[in-house]
Amino acid sequence: MADLQKLYDAVLNGDQKSAVSITKEALDEGCDPMELITKYMVPAMDEVGRRFECEEYFVPELLLSARAMKGALELLRPLLAASGAQPAGRVVIGTVKGDLHDIGKNLVASMLEGGGFEVIDLGADVAPERFIEAVQEKKADIVALSALLTVTMPAMRRTIEAFEKAGIRDRVKVMVGGAPVTPQFAREIGADGYGENATAAVALARQFVQAAHP
Amino acid sequence: MKLTLRPIPGRRLAEQLREAGVEFPCGGEGICGGCRVRVVSGQIPASGPMRLLLTEAELREGWRLACMAEAAGPVTVEVEQWSARVLTDETGTAVEPRRGRGVAIDLGTTTLVAQRVHLETGEIEAVETALNAQARFGADVMSRIQYELRHPGELTRVIREQLGAMLRRLAAGQPLAEVLLAGNTAMHHLFCGLDVTPLAGVPFLSPHSGARRFPPEQMPWRAPTLFLPCLGGFVGSDLLAGVVATRLDRKPDQQGLFDIGTNGEIVVASRKGLRCASTAAGPAFEGGRIRHGMRACEGAIDAVHIENGRLAAHVIGEAAPRGICGSGLVDAAAKALDLGLLLPNGRLIQNPLPLADGVELTQSDIRQLQLAKGAMAAGLKMLAREASRLRLAGAFGNYLHLGSARRIGLLPEDVEVEPAGNAALRGVRMLLLQPSSREERIGRILAMTEHVELAADPAFQDLFAESMRLEPFRFR
Repeated sequence: MADLQKLYDAVLNGDQKSAVSITKEALDEGCDPMELITKYMVPAMDEVGRRFECEEYFVPELLLSARAMKGALELLRPLLAASGAQPAGRVVIGTVKGDLHDIGKNLVASMLEGGGFEVIDLGADVAPERFIEAVQEKKADIVALSALLTVTMPAMRRTIEAFEKAGIRDRVKVMVGGAPVTPQFAREIGADGYGENATAAVALARQFVQAAHP
Repeated sequence: MKLTLRPIPGRRLAEQLREAGVEFPCGGEGICGGCRVRVVSGQIPASGPMRLLLTEAELREGWRLACMAEAAGPVTVEVEQWSARVLTDETGTAVEPRRGRGVAIDLGTTTLVAQRVHLETGEIEAVETALNAQARFGADVMSRIQYELRHPGELTRVIREQLGAMLRRLAAGQPLAEVLLAGNTAMHHLFCGLDVTPLAGVPFLSPHSGARRFPPEQMPWRAPTLFLPCLGGFVGSDLLAGVVATRLDRKPDQQGLFDIGTNGEIVVASRKGLRCASTAAGPAFEGGRIRHGMRACEGAIDAVHIENGRLAAHVIGEAAPRGICGSGLVDAAAKALDLGLLLPNGRLIQNPLPLADGVELTQSDIRQLQLAKGAMAAGLKMLAREASRLRLAGAFGNYLHLGSARRIGLLPEDVEVEPAGNAALRGVRMLLLQPSSREERIGRILAMTEHVELAADPAFQDLFAESMRLEPFRFR
């Protein structure tokens, strides 16, 4: 029997190799992919988030854990799709136009995936039109916008304005984050929420989904 | 040449002297004696290193080491380096004599330095230094750009007025033949009155980053004025002038010039030419976003040692400790690592970690340091892996303790590192003194330089995360 507690540890310690090998072993033994995610990987990422909050972990540890989880998820994803399992929700994520920084955005994307969301990652320097296209095409529930530079924050506002013009603003919840972004700025530009870090972003996304499908 | 300096709050006298262009051949460690100046009026106390390097008679005559200088009141010193016109730069400054006086200006985000130069002899006759008056509209270039976008033209007016007053004092009623300026790309645009919109977003490439000439009637000082061209992206003419001063364009071997500040800028020379890049570090090295962070002035911890197995802080001015500056922060982290009080992943065993009475280091301070040094080291790894020698430009690089910088993995262990003093100012002066070959040399440097956008490379993100670890690294 695969020792599944080791999957939890591998994600928590950012050990991608072990995470992948244990997942393989567990699948060979016929474990339920959904159970691996919800009982081991999501709690491990929650613990990673907790350790980040209390300053025990920092960005490098977060990246390693996210990478470990991603490795395991790649094995599970095709199985989940085949079984018809529904994701917790669909999130379109990207760093706004003019900004190339995507470490923070990648972290949020990984944490959301770990939290059971389907994530459509548009990358960095994303124009409003591309967000709109992705929302329409993928029928996304949530859009997550990231910016690291103070000078690119206005692009968040312009993206939300473009959603209104395109008539899709009511269809999606918009959350924003990034080093210079504040809750007050999020309110000013008409976002639905602000995530201070990757863990907060997952909690926020869960709230959005629960409010829509109580 | 006599230089009179008034104390500026938040700045050490040594720093003011260095900014004014006094060279510290050993990088300000107080070990070579090459920066000696003679006090003409006022007081500079003779500290320990000065007593070792200068004789009793010399001390009595007023000789002091500029790199160790601290003063409570205004002082006037005679700078031996300048009147002898022998610079510590390998080349010295070749002079192509012409009539009149010119001014060389290093327009920094934080500080301004203007030297009046005798164009026939190359002698530096007078110096003015000041804090950049734009600073009250934002400490770093990004906040200035943002301010300029909301209040177009205001920062241009502020800087021209301030330089106007400085140059009026420098000129002392005499006409000026020429004024030459260098500064980073944001300072270039703000001085020249150019649209900063391109600097506010990807790809951060402005179509107007070339040299700018102004006829006398457009400037408050009524002299032909030239702002030197930017090297590329956020790498400005301060680095271009640094290339001139360190002769990076004329050496075929692998050498790098590295300016550490809120923005790190790197130029590396190889047989294929020059490559340059910038990387955003945040304000940690200037004491920003650090709980007890402050600038390097009286009361700041600027060095940390281990004494009897415990951390011992050195405070500038032998005063009561008030906070910690960038070099102190790097030192503190290095020594805490040595004592096992800090782990390579950045975790403080004891949080907060006391350094001196009322000054402590917090976990979040270490995280800020990791971000800043991670960005710098990642930039170096991307660009300078082949370099065998690094020269450090900028104030921070000249006060940083190299051993500590290597210990925390800010600088590579296996590369020779050497402070370059105020290379920007020296380069501007060299270009001012060689008018006929100037244009050709600048054109050649620009043609051989390639600007690399680090953030656009996916490898950079991984290197950045990896470089946040507080441990030594090597290029080879």
